[in-house]
Amino acid sequence: MTIPPIGPLSPVGAPTTIAPAAGTGASGGGDFANALSGGLDKLQQLQSTSDNLAVKAATGSLTDAHDYMIASTQASLATQLTVAVRNKAVDAFNEIMRMQA
Amino acid sequence: MSIFESIGIAGTGATTYRKWLDAVSDNLSNMNDAVSTSQSAFQQRYVIAQQSADGKGVQVGGIALGSKEGRIVYDPQNPLADANGNVRYPDIDLSDQMGQLIMAQRGYQANLSVVDRAKDAYQAALQLGRSS
Repeated sequence: MTIPPIGPLSPVGAPTTIAPAAGTGASGGGDFANALSGGLDKLQQLQSTSDNLAVKAATGSLTDAHDYMIASTQASLATQLTVAVRNKAVDAFNEIMRMQA
Repeated sequence: MSIFESIGIAGTGATTYRKWLDAVSDNLSNMNDAVSTSQSAFQQRYVIAQQSADGKGVQVGGIALGSKEGRIVYDPQNPLADANGNVRYPDIDLSDQMGQLIMAQRGYQANLSVVDRAKDAYQAALQLGRSS
């Protein structure tokens, strides 16, 4: 009866790094800041569109009355959204500052 | 535009119906333009509505024109009448135009209602969790 020889062990590979979960650690703060500044940029864009149409309405070169009302509605909604996000962020920050050992 | 999309889409609809209203207004105002039979009559305007190029909403693809022949009316008193006493009038039907006027007006109002309701809905979403 023949016993088969034991084969050599395969080498152990280099340990793979586990990616940190999204939204945790130091990178999370940067992501939120980017999202917030992106949102502010978009808000600025909507506000300037609305302002341009307001100038057109005042000078009489506005072709569609509803265009201005829609632009101002969008700008107002975007402002409300941005303020809501900011308030939530400040609330969360204050909650953390209130923590005691 | 990307965040409050439905408002922008309803805006394209309102713009299209506004142009339809313009076309009906043009047709009605030129309904009785008499010309001599050697000239072509005012052609009825038809708005061609189609899906927007970016797939979000509707746009006016162009204006189609109706019959150039119009209708020949015997009116020898008219200074534009030819030797047979005929003049040419545009082939525009008043009751048809009034029907189109109602459709355009209702469509415009429907799109503005969408804007209003969407605004209310988004505002309700922004009120989430505010009660505390």
